[in-house]
Amino acid sequence: MLRLSLKMTLARKGRLVLTSLAIILGTSFLSGTTIFSDTINNTFDQLFTDVFRDVNAYVRSANSVESEFGESRHSPTQIEALETILKVPGVSAAVGDMQSYARVIGKDGKPLGKDQGPPTFGGIASSSSAGLWKVESGRLPVGAKEMMLDRETAENGKFVVGDTVRVNALSGTREFSLVGIANYGDVSSPGGATFALFDQPTASEFLLKPGFVDAILIQGDGSLSDEELAKSIQAALPAEARLETLTGAQITAETTSQIKTVLGFFTTFLKTFSFIALGIGCFVIYNVFSITAAQRQRESALLRAIGANRRQVTIALLVEALIIGILGSVLGFVTGIGLSQALSALLNALGLEIPSSGLTIEPSAIISTVIIGTVITVLSAVLPALRAGRVSPLAAMRDTALDTVNDFRRRIIFSAVLLAGGAYGLVSSMNGAGAKSLGFGAVGLFAGVLFIGPAISRKMAMIIGAPVAKLRGVTGAMAQQNAARNPKRTSRTAAPLLIGVALVTSFTALAASIKGEIRDTYGKSFRGDYALSVDSRGFGGIPTSITDQIDALPEVDKATGIGFVPAKVGDESRYVLVINPKTTEGLYTLEMVEGKQSDLTKDGILIESDKALKKNLSIGSIVDVTLIDGRTLPLKLVGTYKNAFGNYVVSREIFDGSTNSLFDSSVYIKINEGESDEQVRKAISAISTDLGIGKLESRDEFIDTQAAQVNQILALIYGLLFLSIIIAIVGIIITLLLSVFERKREIGLLRAIGMTRAQIRTMIRWESVITSLFGAVTGVVLGITMGIVIVVSLVEKGFSAFKLPITGTITILIIAFVIGVVAAVFPAWRATRTNIISSIASN
Amino acid sequence: MNQTIQATQQIDPANIAARAESASKIYGSGESEVRALDSVSISFERGKFSAIMGPSGSGKSTLMHCVAGLDSLTSGSVFIGEVDLSQLNDKAITKLRRNKVGFVFQSFNLIPTLSAYENIILPLSLEGESGDDAWIKTVIDTLSLNDRLKHRPSELSGGQQQRVAVARALASRPEIIFADEPTGNLDSKSGTEILKFMRRAVTDLGQTIVMVTHDAVAASYADRIVFLADGKIAGEMTQPTPDKVLDYLKHLGE
Repeated sequence: MLRLSLKMTLARKGRLVLTSLAIILGTSFLSGTTIFSDTINNTFDQLFTDVFRDVNAYVRSANSVESEFGESRHSPTQIEALETILKVPGVSAAVGDMQSYARVIGKDGKPLGKDQGPPTFGGIASSSSAGLWKVESGRLPVGAKEMMLDRETAENGKFVVGDTVRVNALSGTREFSLVGIANYGDVSSPGGATFALFDQPTASEFLLKPGFVDAILIQGDGSLSDEELAKSIQAALPAEARLETLTGAQITAETTSQIKTVLGFFTTFLKTFSFIALGIGCFVIYNVFSITAAQRQRESALLRAIGANRRQVTIALLVEALIIGILGSVLGFVTGIGLSQALSALLNALGLEIPSSGLTIEPSAIISTVIIGTVITVLSAVLPALRAGRVSPLAAMRDTALDTVNDFRRRIIFSAVLLAGGAYGLVSSMNGAGAKSLGFGAVGLFAGVLFIGPAISRKMAMIIGAPVAKLRGVTGAMAQQNAARNPKRTSRTAAPLLIGVALVTSFTALAASIKGEIRDTYGKSFRGDYALSVDSRGFGGIPTSITDQIDALPEVDKATGIGFVPAKVGDESRYVLVINPKTTEGLYTLEMVEGKQSDLTKDGILIESDKALKKNLSIGSIVDVTLIDGRTLPLKLVGTYKNAFGNYVVSREIFDGSTNSLFDSSVYIKINEGESDEQVRKAISAISTDLGIGKLESRDEFIDTQAAQVNQILALIYGLLFLSIIIAIVGIIITLLLSVFERKREIGLLRAIGMTRAQIRTMIRWESVITSLFGAVTGVVLGITMGIVIVVSLVEKGFSAFKLPITGTITILIIAFVIGVVAAVFPAWRATRTNIISSIASN
Repeated sequence: MNQTIQATQQIDPANIAARAESASKIYGSGESEVRALDSVSISFERGKFSAIMGPSGSGKSTLMHCVAGLDSLTSGSVFIGEVDLSQLNDKAITKLRRNKVGFVFQSFNLIPTLSAYENIILPLSLEGESGDDAWIKTVIDTLSLNDRLKHRPSELSGGQQQRVAVARALASRPEIIFADEPTGNLDSKSGTEILKFMRRAVTDLGQTIVMVTHDAVAASYADRIVFLADGKIAGEMTQPTPDKVLDYLKHLGE
């Protein structure tokens, strides 16, 4: 039987190629993203192992706050500890380390690095062997007037040793003389970040706070193990300094895992993508098996007629699926390697440079791809194989059944149950049952629509095809009939597009609604004329000193800064909003529920009203807020508000005297009457944007920009659409090719009685377009339904926030049309090559 | 092998619906060369029912395919009316088949997605014409298809399907109709019915039919039979009866 399966597999090369193609399509995304993730993880592993190669112990402040992304931020470390550490037996060298905000201004006066790209750092360069930086050319900087650059930044900015370089940091902008170029470990610059390096006192004073560094790197003399060294250092440090000591291995692991957490969001996203691709690809695989199983009905019947039993016929098909599954998955894996390279290239092109150390192909990637690919292939073949087994031996004598007469009653009932279940989940989530029921509802609705597909596809194809039939005469009518003749096939072929379009439509609707909300919120709270803003939350931003300088400008009436800092509120790690109550009046207005915004003092806190309710807090309650520097402040609740981003608001005064640097994320500016736009922009830019700090926008521009941030998420969703488009195109091509093959006699007959090649092409093109539009139309309807539900249940303002994505829908329908036309090109060409004589004379 | 007899019957050139001149069709080359048609010259008279007979592999189907413009010759030429098919490209030949030629095949004659009526007028629809209503009505009446027009082919019996095919072949009132074993898949009753209809199409409606068959009874409905063997014309017979045909075939086989 195995040999028979193998022979049958190889006998139909076209079928083999098409089925493999479907599997390759599904598995290549999986292997591509796996290889890509493995490669970047491995790269960062190597990078940090390399960077901390000579670090045996690591000392930093024990005061920390976890941010929302799972990384912990530590308070700065006093440099005096260095003296103590150097005296510990077993320590051969120790040096302060720093990664603070610093922006290098290029020779053209424009800041280097991208606004949304990798971070721009300032740090310490030292001769100590414990340091991370290695001088490549020139020498180390000494004193307040000298600096070094990483090689990549120096090359990009065309800086050479001896140049004067302007750098902007927390405490302002200064000029330095470039005395050297350095490498980070063995690489020129990790992840495309820029580095400005100074000696320790200059770095501390210029970038952080005099007398403080981020951490101290320690090298042992080899007499102690890393653990023993760390232990004796920890013992030597005074307890009141609140410092902690880690081994080299620990800090390597921590840094790597932090990077991996950040990368994790990205790789998880990619994984999700690839599994969606695989899921959509399953439809194509299942479709191919169903069609080919039907086409080989005679073959199966012949096997039965000569004595094979049902099981043997079924098993023959499953073995064939197994062979193709393994073959397709292996090819899919190979294709995935190319795909992962393409992904790297794409990210590089987008400016997200990921240091790559070749290609990492884990054996687990190969194994999982092949196993998953083979399993889904065999599973997709189970139903068709069972059906093949049920073929009566007599079917061998009959002609292949072309029209499948289907009784859809059971299917409709089952779909109705799924749809009702889905609707129940969605409606209950609209009434506040939460995301879980929303998820179940969505899945139920999707499954219901996909399941009912065959029952509606004939009617839908007839409706969509009606104008075609009218316009294109008999050729169009035949295209319409062909799209409607195999309802199951049509609905399975349209499924990838349906899923992609439904997801995109619902997310577009959600995004449009969120944009509306963002506009509303900013529109209400921000009353100024201009806004200076940066994107980075937590790291870097607009130094509060700049905010004060803007406030002091003669053209400016008033300027107020809003910052986000990580802090612990109660036992919850959160970003809190930091405002300056002295200047917010009339510029940044919260929608207060209780109390007044101006009540906020350095001992007070404002809390979002729902949050306060949930936590059982009322005016006058005391809330403990722990800052990064380890101070815990008991703050009194003085007011509650609603409709703002962030649940907690504190005064910037609470940072007075903190070892932590405070940045603003945005500065709202009100200008004096009569000042010209040009004049104001010039004055403000001179002390901000010209130094690489923030982006200056008018009120309208600013609100537009904030709303447009949602577009970044949308871009990812459009990526998903793109993916489903590719799968849909390939799926339609495969189906059409199989249909052309199946209708060979029909096409031969049509050619004989006078259908021209151009008419054949038209017929197939329109069948393709109708199928594609069927998927898109159903997807749009499903997507809008889900969009309404999602908006109602997730967005506060409910249904009024729902915006029908009209242009989006039209675009999708146009895309679907183009997909149909493109997918038909090759199958239509194949059809025109049908040999008339051999197809009509096949009896 | 009998001596070669050419189809010598003299036909008025103005009355020729289709003809082949020194038509040869050769497959393969060298040792494996097969001459499916070996320099055949033949004319089919307008308004007559002609049959081509011969054993399997005699070249009768190839002759029909080539004269009908479904296949091309290796050498020689074929004419439909005055048109030399070798001078036409694929599109022109396709249009010629659509407008000047009718076809009835042994099986799978109809498009399964179209109704009987849509199948009948298909060649006209492909041209974007509605055709001559009166004529189509006459054809449908003659073939007794009035109550079957809305049915799909799958809802018709084999005989009914062949009648629809004959109706389609007649619908555009073509120069000539080619029928390839039109009764080969039918029971004798349905087969007889079809043959009678074809006879009436020629006698009553003035159409021209060329039928390929290996059935002596079927061939006896024709006005004239051309016998083919080994790619050459082996003889011909006018006013045939089944017995005469069978006799001749025996004689041919000696």
